[in-house]
Amino acid sequence: MFWRHNRQDDSPPIEFFEDAHARVKHERYSLTEPTPPQRKRRRRLSRKQTDSLLGLLLVAPLVLWLTAAILYPLFSAIRLSFLDTGIIGTGGKFIGLENYQFILSSPDFWKALGRSLVWVVGNAVVQTLAAFAAALILMQSFPGQGVARIWIILSWIIPTVVVVIIWRWLLGTSGGIVNYLLVSLGILDSPVGFFSTARSAFASVVFINSWRWFPLMTVILLAAMQGIPQELYEAAAVDGATSSKKFTNITLPALQPVLFVLGLVGTLWSINVFDIIWLTTGGGPSSATMTLPVFIYDMAFKGYRLSRAAAASVVMGMLLLVFVYLFNRFMSPPPETD
Amino acid sequence: MRRFWRSLVLFISVFGLLFVVIAPFYWIFSSSVKRNQEIIARIPTFFPKSFTIQHYQNLLASSDFPKYLMNSTIVALLTMIFTVVITVMAAYAIYRLKFPGHKFLQRVILVTYAFPTILLLIPIYMMLSATTPKLIDTPWALVIVNVTFAAPFAVWMLQAFFKSIPLELEEAAALDGAGRIQTMIKVFLPLAAPGIASIAIYAFIFSWTEYMYASVLIISDKYRTLPVGLAGIIGQYQVDWGLLLAGATITTLPVLILFSIVGRSFVQGLTAGAVK
Amino acid sequence: MRTKLSLIFTILMVSSMILAACGEATTPPPAEVEPPAEATQPPAEATQPPAEATQPPAEEPPAEPVSIMVWHMEQPPYRVERFQELIDEFNAANPGIVVKQEPQNWGEIYTKAPAAFSAGNAPELLFAIPDFTPIMREAGAVQPVEDFVNEMDAAHKFVPSAVAPYNYDGHIWAVPMWNMVHSLWYRKSVFEAAEITPPTTWDEWKAAVETLNTEGQYGIGLPANKQLYTDQTTYDFMINAGAEEIYNSDGTLRFDNPQTVAAYDFYNQLYQFSPPDSPNWMWGEAEACFASRTCAMVLQFTVITTYETQAEGDAADLGVVAIPHSADVAQSGTIAYPNAVMLLTEDPAKQDAAYEFMRFLLQPENYGRFLNMEPGLYLPVTDDGGMADSYWNDPVVVKYKSQIETMLENSKNGMLFGFTNGNTFPSIAQISAQNMLAQVLQKVVIDKMPPADAVKEGQEMMEAAIQ
Repeated sequence: MFWRHNRQDDSPPIEFFEDAHARVKHERYSLTEPTPPQRKRRRRLSRKQTDSLLGLLLVAPLVLWLTAAILYPLFSAIRLSFLDTGIIGTGGKFIGLENYQFILSSPDFWKALGRSLVWVVGNAVVQTLAAFAAALILMQSFPGQGVARIWIILSWIIPTVVVVIIWRWLLGTSGGIVNYLLVSLGILDSPVGFFSTARSAFASVVFINSWRWFPLMTVILLAAMQGIPQELYEAAAVDGATSSKKFTNITLPALQPVLFVLGLVGTLWSINVFDIIWLTTGGGPSSATMTLPVFIYDMAFKGYRLSRAAAASVVMGMLLLVFVYLFNRFMSPPPETD
Repeated sequence: MRRFWRSLVLFISVFGLLFVVIAPFYWIFSSSVKRNQEIIARIPTFFPKSFTIQHYQNLLASSDFPKYLMNSTIVALLTMIFTVVITVMAAYAIYRLKFPGHKFLQRVILVTYAFPTILLLIPIYMMLSATTPKLIDTPWALVIVNVTFAAPFAVWMLQAFFKSIPLELEEAAALDGAGRIQTMIKVFLPLAAPGIASIAIYAFIFSWTEYMYASVLIISDKYRTLPVGLAGIIGQYQVDWGLLLAGATITTLPVLILFSIVGRSFVQGLTAGAVK
Repeated sequence: MRTKLSLIFTILMVSSMILAACGEATTPPPAEVEPPAEATQPPAEATQPPAEATQPPAEEPPAEPVSIMVWHMEQPPYRVERFQELIDEFNAANPGIVVKQEPQNWGEIYTKAPAAFSAGNAPELLFAIPDFTPIMREAGAVQPVEDFVNEMDAAHKFVPSAVAPYNYDGHIWAVPMWNMVHSLWYRKSVFEAAEITPPTTWDEWKAAVETLNTEGQYGIGLPANKQLYTDQTTYDFMINAGAEEIYNSDGTLRFDNPQTVAAYDFYNQLYQFSPPDSPNWMWGEAEACFASRTCAMVLQFTVITTYETQAEGDAADLGVVAIPHSADVAQSGTIAYPNAVMLLTEDPAKQDAAYEFMRFLLQPENYGRFLNMEPGLYLPVTDDGGMADSYWNDPVVVKYKSQIETMLENSKNGMLFGFTNGNTFPSIAQISAQNMLAQVLQKVVIDKMPPADAVKEGQEMMEAAIQ
């Protein structure tokens, strides 16, 4: 319970927060006081060392935590992928690379990988467009703007299970409002099963997942956009730049660091999405929405090929690492000066 | 005239945006108070014609929703505390103290998301069942997992705030003779508070919505979290839409209440980091 | 600024208090549990709050209650409630035993049960269908129960077909509890209005479905999900096409045969009259479709509860018949699931307690109430249970007596894939865990593959799965 200990010993009493500002101001004055150069130098040196030590100390809990919860399981998963374990909890004997051979020669694996790619691209496109549109709308000033900026996030803060219930209910054929509206507006002749054909099921799940995730992207983009100095736009306006010019020449470049991270993390998050697909379609119909995580889950827990599933997920992990490397290499924003 | 069109377009787009986000919620809330026959009627009613709280009564009588709510809250709060403590310490070290390897960590931290969550599920399960005392089937199992997956992004989120706080302030404090830890706690953290609030809320929401691990790592009903409890009533044998919609509504309400209190801090916290 | 800070601080304070509370609640017990257990010697495994152990110091110490956890997949609240009533009665009558239930989900149990067993968190009793048992056996969890089954057989007389699917490798692996069979459900008034009589053959069935497929009403509701319900309806068609045997008697597969192809072909023909969302259906959607009059017919274990609570509930109008059969087959058959309970504990004291509980459930005066947690769904598997007043006096059973009698009649021609003709092939577990019958169906009705090709691919898929 290191943190509880910390709280008692190191954390400041509440009163301190009250006068933090006053103190800061006071301290800023002291900056102007002349200091003997020699003393400063010596202090800096030792300070650098203590900083390093303290840095390592402070970062240690996170690193240890992640090591224990990710690296260790990772190694046991890799170990598992060389065995022939079937059901969870049963043993297995070493069979070398056989699982990898099986996975790499299995058409189902490649199909699932293909679907995952389409899934990632589809989600990226839909979410980026939706998030940019939403952020640009919310940048305008209108009555209730403040409230809208907060509540836009609504669909991200509810559990995925609720998201699934909502959309299964809205898109259903009996009692489903979407079908009813489409039919009564004359767009459709008769109710369609949104999850019934390969294409519509895939598109629907992409839509549902995007509906859940785009608000977070919106809020982050919005925050970043608000950080762009207004003077840039004003100067561009003086030069007679159009709105689209302003967007491509000012907004986009300024957002690059944020977009880089959203692109990286967003891709990794969305390829790992399991619960929305699993709870909505279970990977169906006829495997149409069986992306890699669903494929792996299905293989491990329905097919009882735990080791094979581990091999598939190790392959997936390696592909993702390659993606991260390439993304870093080619999409990295110019290094910041700090 | 141009101004008029502009406001009209703006109005329509704002309305459209809010419609996409909010209309589905209206639809489940309003349907959850309809009687069964009206819920599954072929022609939907936009405003409930019948009113009943029977679904809510059924839900509370027949399942342990209050217990699930409690469990979810405990797990989310613990996740929040641990995430805040370890990420704030780590982010301060990474972005403020130039210890050897900080550049590397800065780059590598988000790479943790490259390991498929599904890949870690089985080994984590086995690992947590091998500990003494067993962590499997306790709220701690979920806390461990949730912090793991919330922390890397939280560290990144903190970056913007931490960078926005001028280095000079700390240097000044240092010149005053304050030690590093003292400076961090007394000068730095108060200034970073909005950012810390944001990641606290982020961690809370992450934990609140997590399903996959909660469904596997928790076995007993007494520790079940809200999403898993709700998935339980999706039911295999019968589709009781009334019960489900009531469940969805009840699950949504706590976050609505929470967010109406802290939502502003979350969004403004993010913005504060970006603006400076 | 200040309000935000104080807010954060309050949250931190409150939560750390909760944490502290949790920490105190969770950490001490392990340390305190051991001593009393050693001090009072009887069954070592029973963990018990120290308070109870220390209460009567001088008198004879009460035997520490043996706790029995039961996992079942009967999640609907009213089923849980009924089961709890029986558990409460049992616990009251048996102070030495504490039975608890935890409802699970068929979708998760295949993952959760082996995982729980390997983590040492398995329940003592776990409900099963015949193709689930081999998986738990492979995980090393299931205890043989033939002695107990024989004892119950002597007392209550099991229906032999309920025991057979659990009897292989020289042991009986689960205690039969009830049977479930499919029937074809319809509304008499709808049939009368369209001037049709209940179909008995495929030709009549197809004609009826076509006639009843009208504006706002689908001729039939048939699922096409990759899920257990679709396996079941598909197998219904296979039985009624004469393709009930998936295995040859030597254990090789004979799935790819003309009768199977005919079954898939006919399923596909009727499927064209099913609602567009049927690829997502589980049991519930079919019932809802029937209850809302959107589907004219469904194949289902029972629709009685939904019909009673969510539809008109007019017993005289609810029609049920055996599933129609093809011209090549003499009589109708149906899928039948004899459900049973597996014993997952090696501890003799717990085993005895578990047997005691099952003995209680199978007593005729309790058995009927137990089965009627879902009236009509669970059919008795013991002779005296089939005649028990507790079964037939339930108000819902009284109301729908004729329907339930028809279902019991249909159950006489029940079979289950992998367990037909006196053979038992545990490898069927791999086939059914992956819902392969349903997967083949999806190839036909969704990917529009010719049935013969789909069935051929299906056989290859099954061979790979059981190798």
